[in-house]
Amino acid sequence: MDKLIDLGPEFWTAAGETLYMVFFTMLFGGLAGLVLGIGLYVTRTGGLLPNVVVNNVLNVLINFFRPIPFIIFIAAVQPLTRAVIGIGIGTNAAVFALSLAASFAIGRIVEQNLLTVKPGVIEAARSMGAGPWRILTTVVIGEALGPLILGYTFIIVAVIDMSAMAGFLGGGGLGYFAQLYGYRQFEPIVTWAAVLLIIVFVQIVQYLGNWLARKVLRR
Amino acid sequence: MAIVSLANVSKSYPSPERGAPRIVAVDDVSLEIEAGEVTGIIGYSGAGKSTLVRLINALEPATDGTVTIDGRAITGLPERELRAVRLGIGMIFQQFNLFEAKTVAQNVAYPLKVAGWGKAEITARVQELLDFVGLADKARAYPDQLSGGQKQRVGIARALATRPRILLADEATSALDPETTQEVLALLKRVNEEYGVTMVVITHEMDVIQSIATKVAVMDGGRVIEQGDVFDVFSDPQHASSRKFVSTVVQGVPSPAELAVLRERHAGRIATFSFRDGDAAQARVFVELAQAGLEFELVYGGINDIRGRAFGHLTLAIRGEEAAIDRALARIGELVAVTEPPIGDGAVGDGAVGGGAVGDGAVGDGAQDGEAR
Repeated sequence: MDKLIDLGPEFWTAAGETLYMVFFTMLFGGLAGLVLGIGLYVTRTGGLLPNVVVNNVLNVLINFFRPIPFIIFIAAVQPLTRAVIGIGIGTNAAVFALSLAASFAIGRIVEQNLLTVKPGVIEAARSMGAGPWRILTTVVIGEALGPLILGYTFIIVAVIDMSAMAGFLGGGGLGYFAQLYGYRQFEPIVTWAAVLLIIVFVQIVQYLGNWLARKVLRR
Repeated sequence: MAIVSLANVSKSYPSPERGAPRIVAVDDVSLEIEAGEVTGIIGYSGAGKSTLVRLINALEPATDGTVTIDGRAITGLPERELRAVRLGIGMIFQQFNLFEAKTVAQNVAYPLKVAGWGKAEITARVQELLDFVGLADKARAYPDQLSGGQKQRVGIARALATRPRILLADEATSALDPETTQEVLALLKRVNEEYGVTMVVITHEMDVIQSIATKVAVMDGGRVIEQGDVFDVFSDPQHASSRKFVSTVVQGVPSPAELAVLRERHAGRIATFSFRDGDAAQARVFVELAQAGLEFELVYGGINDIRGRAFGHLTLAIRGEEAAIDRALARIGELVAVTEPPIGDGAVGDGAVGGGAVGDGAVGDGAQDGEAR
């Protein structure tokens, strides 16, 4: 316990790093994933702007990257990380790898949630003379908003999980803290302190997500 | 001039299986719909009814033929121009298809936004429409807080928002209970009479045809096999297939199963007599049978009313000498339509003695699953 109190500053720094990584990953990866998911949704056969070529390219791209375990992905993507943000290690490098990996997963989740919108509703909008982009922005996204919020909530929790591996390239965070000060120094209390804080983060995120989705769905 | 005109229109889809022939949903249909009419499109599911109405607002582009709306051929127009055409054609659906995430008022306002109306105009128009359908107090409610009948009234208000001259209804009352169906039909009737909106209604319910339709087209296998005034088609269908369909929805015609029961229960020959107003009185039929010395009893029957004109079917079991029955039926056949359902099959319409002409029975062999969207 004394050990944990001594480590107080490092603990809170690590917690800050985790929040930083999750926040920026959701910002960049969340947007990229939204674009990917919308792209998949509108280009599918029978979609708003059907395009077999674009749809196949996006599908292959996502199916290629998504099965790669994140710990390997981080290493494999390092040359690209270096080219884009100038350095292959550190918190920002971790954010880049996280955003990239998350965007593929988010793309799928966005696609799936948009597909829950009933075709009849889209047909009704078409029958009123609305064009594809208007239907997408004013009907489809609104109708799927509840499930989309829950999908994003799910992804935030997954990103908190993935961010624990950022220590692999010097990204810091609670995962790295637990590993370095807890596990390697035989201090289970330190490990558990990190675990507890992560659980608290997850609970808060899930609670807010559920609350927001309920508000949108009015039930 | 017809407000909607289809000339030799077909719609086919590539088959999902490689090398298989294309699926024909609508097969060489020609149909003229006059302004102000309410045309019912009837037929079994899979006959191509849904696809046919979607050709009118170009939700489905025709693969062949010409669709003309208000004198303008819309076949082959670019999507952007079709959107403008659709603003002049409202549509309502079986499952209502309301935007669940929008309030009632927002639902009704949506087509007006698409049409580019100003904010003040939209507010006024939405209020006017909600008053018309009797849902002014529900403006801020969401669709999941409404009953089925209320949802369809919102659907009607939304479809009429841009003051279209044509309204398409795809089984608009099929998901509603009988009482609510009557409410919605009464509303549609007002839409037709007060605003002069031309309607095309797909239905398989006799109620709908009886209360609002003036014209009817019968579809089978992607073709329109019969069209005309509702009374004529329903009281005296010319085509074997429409006769079969009509007999399933009008009152008084026994189904094959019911015929089997009737035969078991009643001795003698079973014959159905079909009356139309203006035909010889029923009394003449009974007089002829009595004069021939035949014994008969009424075993099944019903009278239908379409816009104040009645037609009916009476099924009698007749006992007596075979030759005497033949002579009597031949004489009666000159007065009214007489049908003797053949034993074992029982489909009314086959083997008619006198009366309406027998259809050739060769129904288009187009694919049956033409309801694809």
